[in-house]
Amino acid sequence: MTLYRLDHIVHRYDKRPALSPALSIDRWSVAEGAITGLCGPNGSGKSTLLKLLGFIERPSQGEIYLQGRKADMGMRRVRDHVTLLPQESYLLKRNVYKNVAYGLRLRKDRSDEARRVHQALDLVGLAPDRFAPRPWYALSGGEARRVALAARLVLKPKVLLLDEPTTSVDAASAQQMKAAALHAHRQWGSSLIISSHDVQWLQDVCHDIVYVFNGRILGQGQRTLLFGPWQRMEGNRVGRRLAEDQIFVAGNPPVEIDNAVAAIDPAHLSLYSSDKDIPGGNMALKGLLTRLALENATGRIHLAVAVGHTEFTASLTAETLATENYRPGKEIWIAYRPEDVTWY
Amino acid sequence: MDFILEGLRQAFLLLFSGNAETYSAVAATLAVSSYAMAVSLAVGIPSGFALGHLRFAGRRQVRLVVDTLMSLPTVFIGLIVYAFVSRQGPLGHMGLLFTLEGIAIGLTILALPVVISLSASAVESTDANLRTTLLSLGAGKPQLMLGTLWETRHAILAGALAAYGRVMTEVGIAMIVGGNIKWHTRTITTAIALETNKGQFAMGIALGLVLLLIAFVVNGSVSFLRKR
Repeated sequence: MTLYRLDHIVHRYDKRPALSPALSIDRWSVAEGAITGLCGPNGSGKSTLLKLLGFIERPSQGEIYLQGRKADMGMRRVRDHVTLLPQESYLLKRNVYKNVAYGLRLRKDRSDEARRVHQALDLVGLAPDRFAPRPWYALSGGEARRVALAARLVLKPKVLLLDEPTTSVDAASAQQMKAAALHAHRQWGSSLIISSHDVQWLQDVCHDIVYVFNGRILGQGQRTLLFGPWQRMEGNRVGRRLAEDQIFVAGNPPVEIDNAVAAIDPAHLSLYSSDKDIPGGNMALKGLLTRLALENATGRIHLAVAVGHTEFTASLTAETLATENYRPGKEIWIAYRPEDVTWY
Repeated sequence: MDFILEGLRQAFLLLFSGNAETYSAVAATLAVSSYAMAVSLAVGIPSGFALGHLRFAGRRQVRLVVDTLMSLPTVFIGLIVYAFVSRQGPLGHMGLLFTLEGIAIGLTILALPVVISLSASAVESTDANLRTTLLSLGAGKPQLMLGTLWETRHAILAGALAAYGRVMTEVGIAMIVGGNIKWHTRTITTAIALETNKGQFAMGIALGLVLLLIAFVVNGSVSFLRKR
């Protein structure tokens, strides 16, 4: 079943039509009960998208459907079931207990309140007896972030939106926050939509990953994205220098190339131990295999190959990987056909 | 220097001996400032909150007018109130001239723009993430407004204190509208002005000390409330 459906969404912070909108999504849907990851550079529109999905802001144009019905901010079914952990968590000027219980009190749901608040604090790794009475100003940044997450988890939301949940928290806090979010998914069936720069984490936990760039959704899946500057080459091709002797060549570029983004799907990347094995018609890049990661949803192995500062994501089955001697640290060739590059 | 020290000594004597004239001025001051602050806070906080929180056509213009009214000279307010409540004025029949009620009206006009403007500023300067947090935890419109008001309570209290400071130390309105009538409309500040003119420094210093004491009690109470 579809959780969200976005229909011709345009969102502007500045009403001047000459400026491009902060977000422009023609059509997009999110499956219910899934974990969806959002990645993309700073300022790409991830936080704006999450605010629209959390009904914190109303889109300038277009409609958002929640579980098949048109939804808008202020609606009871939205307020009761959708919650967002913003990028900069704000704690209300009261103690930790009251911060966590705030959402329950808004819903006039005070049955067994103390136990539920303590349970939520436990989930994020904060000892309830120590932390519940603390005032909001007596917390470190990481603790405040965990309290903010506990205030959302106590609501057992149907939809939990997390905007950079692990940014500026230490490794242990990040680990606890990740575990708490997954607990919500597993125990209560919460749908999670997570924006994060921690691509490895997203790859580990998400059923689907979406790339957001310049306010647009650049497709779903584990694609490698390449941004300009592009140089025009012979035969309707463009190139982008990745390292001293490595140029990524792409075919069929758009007319407006300056802000174009190239994407290549893992299915279109082949891996070779030697360039002698690469078939003709393919472009080849030599890189360093940096990471192997299991995609839980499909059981496939993702291989991260660094060429200069660009990291390509290829994908293999576990069986294929077992027959090849691919391990992190090994030099490896990736091959693709320039025509398989798609443009945004 | 000696006459100042002598003034201080006599001031303590006047205060601790329960001098009736001194306490009459203190009572008049407390009465008019309490009336003025009660009305200013009751009207000013909701108005200031609305001005800072809501977006409506003409909001900036209203804000400009309120901010300008913050700088109203007290003697001018006194003059306007006098013109309205004097016998030939439109409110002359109400008999407010040379009464504490008349002074309280003038002081309300003085304090109201301060409370409105500083409350609006307090709401406008709230962290943008407060709105996101309240909405994301399930707040509806009334809860959003109440939550924002509660979160800005310290800044609004600071605004109220600033207004109280103006009201307590005001001379022009009390002098023009109240007439500085002994045992009746003489406030602490008008008494200080009169006693200083007469060369009676002891009474002036005593009343000044009382003003300081009231300010200390009010600030101490607010500080206690902030801690809670």
